[in-house]
Amino acid sequence: MDKVNYNGQKIIAFADKTILKISNVSIKGLNTKELENSLMEKLNTIVRIIGVTGENIEMDIYNLSPEDVLKDAHGIIKAVSLTEGIKAENVMDLSAEKAVQVDIDNIDIVKNISCARERWQSYERSNNTDRS
Amino acid sequence: MNAAIIPTGAEILAGTVLDTSSAYIMQKLIKYFPDCIVTKLCPAADVQDIIINKIDICVKSNPDLIIITGGSGGGHRYSSSLACDYTHSALSEYLDKYNASEIYGKNGHLWCRLVCGFKNDCLVINLPGPYAEATAAFDAFLEAFDMNEIDIVKINNQMINAVYSKYPVSEVL
Repeated sequence: MDKVNYNGQKIIAFADKTILKISNVSIKGLNTKELENSLMEKLNTIVRIIGVTGENIEMDIYNLSPEDVLKDAHGIIKAVSLTEGIKAENVMDLSAEKAVQVDIDNIDIVKNISCARERWQSYERSNNTDRS
Repeated sequence: MNAAIIPTGAEILAGTVLDTSSAYIMQKLIKYFPDCIVTKLCPAADVQDIIINKIDICVKSNPDLIIITGGSGGGHRYSSSLACDYTHSALSEYLDKYNASEIYGKNGHLWCRLVCGFKNDCLVINLPGPYAEATAAFDAFLEAFDMNEIDIVKINNQMINAVYSKYPVSEVL
């Protein structure tokens, strides 16, 4: 059978994102929804947990700068510590950084299904520029 | 209706994170289709070939619908500490016919790619990993789904718009 694929919508979401990483914790059976709700209440913005290992949690925090996120580091640590499924056995590490920017105006988001960052890097290589 | 749920992700497989999305999907399927049979499969690791293989085995048991959760973003491509996100690309490779929509952040990152399509007569969709996005997308799927006339473009559009509505703001190209 011939493959048929349709290009659906391409949407750009205009929102800033800070990536918050929490390490030095022990995680088993974490309910991410519960932690997200707790942090959203604390930070008053949208929080999405995007990566969890046995020792680290990585999350996206929308429309807050890294500095603003870390202003309430104590509150974040408290919320994380009180969440079922997380044990802080040592001193918890928090780091926040702005997501790397990719210039979406210079990449083709229609042709290729791979991610924008990869396409941007490919564009840079082909143009021998250094804008990473 | 015979449906199968395939969660993906090492964190789900290891029990590090609770799989709350599968429970939600199952509950909704039972509500909308009281006579349905729902099977939740063992989670698949974030490896494209493993995901394809798992879907292929599932398709051979002739379900009407397969729902795959997780692995819909850019993943490790933006952060070395994140896992790979290969569900969407696995579906593009595997399905006979599909519609795919994407949400990018203004920083250029791929935030979410949803695919809706067919392998033989089996309808296959994917949902994002975060619970709020997965449940919004699945609710939109149920609203758009008509068993007598399955429109993959309509389903895919409604699902991606539902995910988009969960982000703080806005502009559609």
